[in-house]
Amino acid sequence: MMTLSPGFTLGSRGISNAPISSNTHDHRLTSAFIHDFSPSFEHLHLPSIATSSPWQTRQARTPLVRPSLHHRPKPPPHTTPRRSSANTTPAQSRIQQLTSHLTSSESDIPSGLESVTSKSPSDIVVTCALRTPLTKGGRGGFKDTAAADLLHGAFRSLLERSKIDPALVNDIAVGTVLAPGGGATEFRAAALAAGFPDSTAVKSLNRQCSSGLQACVDIANAIKTGMIEIGIGAGVESMSSQYGPGAVTEFSELLESHPAAKECKVPMGVLSEKMAKDRKIGRKEQDEFAARSYGKAVEAQKKGLFDEEIAPLTVKWTDPKTEEEKTITVSKDDGVREGMTAESLGKIRPAFSKDSSGTIHAGNASQISDGAAAVLLMRRDTAERLGQPILGKYVTASVVGVPPLLMGIGPWKAIPVALEKAGITKDDVDVFEINEAFASQCVWCIKELGLDEAKINPKGGAIAFGHPLGCTGARQVSTLLYELRRTGKKVGVSSMCVGTGMGMAAVWVAE
Amino acid sequence: MLEFRTAGFNPYAVKYSPFFDSRLAVSSGANFGLVGNGRLSILNLTNQGIICEKSFDTQDCLFDTCWSEAHENQLLTAGGDGSVKLFDIGLSQFPIASWQEHGREVFSVAWNLAHKRTFLSSSWDGSVKIWDPEANNQGSVLTLPIHSCVYSAQYSPHSSDVVTAVSRDSHLRVFDLRTPASASNHLTLAVPIHAPPKVPQQGFVPTSVGPTECLTHDWNKYRSTIVATAGVDGIIRTFDLRSPGAGPIAMMQGHEYAIRKLSWSPHLSDVLLSASYDMTCRVWTDGSTMGAGVSPKLGGGSGGPREMGRMDRHTEFAMGVDWCLFGAEGWCATCAWDERVLVWDVREFMRG
Repeated sequence: MMTLSPGFTLGSRGISNAPISSNTHDHRLTSAFIHDFSPSFEHLHLPSIATSSPWQTRQARTPLVRPSLHHRPKPPPHTTPRRSSANTTPAQSRIQQLTSHLTSSESDIPSGLESVTSKSPSDIVVTCALRTPLTKGGRGGFKDTAAADLLHGAFRSLLERSKIDPALVNDIAVGTVLAPGGGATEFRAAALAAGFPDSTAVKSLNRQCSSGLQACVDIANAIKTGMIEIGIGAGVESMSSQYGPGAVTEFSELLESHPAAKECKVPMGVLSEKMAKDRKIGRKEQDEFAARSYGKAVEAQKKGLFDEEIAPLTVKWTDPKTEEEKTITVSKDDGVREGMTAESLGKIRPAFSKDSSGTIHAGNASQISDGAAAVLLMRRDTAERLGQPILGKYVTASVVGVPPLLMGIGPWKAIPVALEKAGITKDDVDVFEINEAFASQCVWCIKELGLDEAKINPKGGAIAFGHPLGCTGARQVSTLLYELRRTGKKVGVSSMCVGTGMGMAAVWVAE
Repeated sequence: MLEFRTAGFNPYAVKYSPFFDSRLAVSSGANFGLVGNGRLSILNLTNQGIICEKSFDTQDCLFDTCWSEAHENQLLTAGGDGSVKLFDIGLSQFPIASWQEHGREVFSVAWNLAHKRTFLSSSWDGSVKIWDPEANNQGSVLTLPIHSCVYSAQYSPHSSDVVTAVSRDSHLRVFDLRTPASASNHLTLAVPIHAPPKVPQQGFVPTSVGPTECLTHDWNKYRSTIVATAGVDGIIRTFDLRSPGAGPIAMMQGHEYAIRKLSWSPHLSDVLLSASYDMTCRVWTDGSTMGAGVSPKLGGGSGGPREMGRMDRHTEFAMGVDWCLFGAEGWCATCAWDERVLVWDVREFMRG
């Protein structure tokens, strides 16, 4: 909350109290005005979980325009004031502008849709975003390819497509979850092998399933603060080679003895099963959602909607039948299966529950997959100077914590925070990419946030084509931006739940 | 100090007539300019105080006004409905011309000070338009695209073909209309206002880094390459257009909120007046030595950029300032959302 200097009168009086062209109105209304109408001076106080919706505070504040504002004198017939946004009145946008004058720096200019979609030289923009195909763990096209090799492939394709001089890239962040030692050593080696000079720094990071998004956000923030000029946010996972019990160190006695800490260890399938039960998300609902994901992915693949984001990769592959080593080029997600219906999915046996009450199974949870993705980020003025084509811009991101046993609700908590930071509402968003870790948690988040299902994962999601853990967050960027561009839409949100109880979300604008 | 109440209307700009030392124009809007009518008031300074000589009402708020340099009775307004209007005091009620080209609120209008024939307007639609009614009465003669809300545009007082504009994107742009209209649309310079100075200013610790909206700027009336800018970060900066890469040459910090209007003194080359959302109007010297000794009382002289005095009688956001061109070197007019226009002598508010 901003502190107002002496002389300002705070109050609840709004514009409705100020008679138009009256000689007597109280001139000390200004601050009351700004206070009442400003979207920025109130913070979203997230209610405690499960008691109320995080939208609530926003809804209470939404009626920015009160009836008297509509008593605007009609302009003469020859004047037709145009407005950039149909759902913003002139008074509203003027208030937003005034409010922005009262903030101290650009970082806290309350935005609104207009400023989210506006262009400034200091914007962080994406000039190239791509991914390898995602393939089935243990059986797919990349089953014999190391994580670093997948990453190497993504880097090579990124350099080829963007034609950026690799020497200009200052830093690369790679999200990965399962690699021993965080993959730090082999990722640096992969960057060198891909053609980056030794002056390009590389780090790996792990925020579980949001690692790929965290990598992009880290790079964007480093550019914003001036630490680096150009960077790559990437993500990679070879679940074929690195998925298994070895990925988590045994818990110490201390952790085992702490009730909340101990819960971090509960397998995600088990806790999602429990959550589905608690939150009453039925098997049928989950299977229907999963079938739709498959359906959308099949259609998108047939129409070639993934072609722009996918960079095919040529790898060595051992045929399991003949044990013969072949060189194959993988150019399609191989987990996408045709003909999946809620009925056919309904026949699969639950995986995490011994009795028949279980709802989660291989068909309505994300697939175990291999893949890599990379996103090239820089400031808008840098991109313009280098002649890099701008795909879209990064607006803001959020990270939140939730109880470990309810990790699936992460997007429910993270998305409103990101939207609040961007100063927009869910209705301003054209496409949501919400990771389908489990149909149960995804359905719950969508329902609870009241999102329009037509806007969610229009090309399908992790249930249909896979969730290579560290890759997903970076993968969503290319999926999202190309879809927005294809459909001529603007604002997108990418989000996912995070194991051990977190959520992340980011706002992107396609250009 | 003289006072005038613009009852029912919140002023956005006040301007002294370039022809008469007793005449002022005030542009204003009802309901803080957010919604409702606008009003242009012509004020006269008399022995009985300030008297409203004439007023014109418009459909939408008038965010700025400026006097014609060619005709003593004419003046322009910047309309919230995107219109630019020319009023004549000799007539009543209606403007003598109205041009509707801008797609959004017009935020500034300025008359060419050198050859007095053309004028310009700047708008939220991201453009500056040049108008020359003698050549084309139907519309503008040139549009300079900026792609960001242009809060203020000005002609150089020293050259009739040089136009500057400051905008939401934190840049000061210089257009030279003599250059060919190539792909750059006459743009010759774009100076990032937030860039730190190459030579750090002694004792200046900036409160903000990064771009902020620039709301106002003004050309120095004596030093033909000096422009001052100010905006949301509350810092006044001066730039020398001969060395745009050097960053600001002087920075003046003190206002607690955004600065809405800035004006160089017509009498002293180093003195500035500012109006801010913090409700104060402040007098500054940019510390340039050229001002030394001109006036022992007002001239700042050497000693670095600093605030010399402040007037805090306004009780709401101060929006407009202007200097009187005539008489003693300290008279000015200010206006604020408290529905008041104050005419005062800067010298009364100087610090000991």
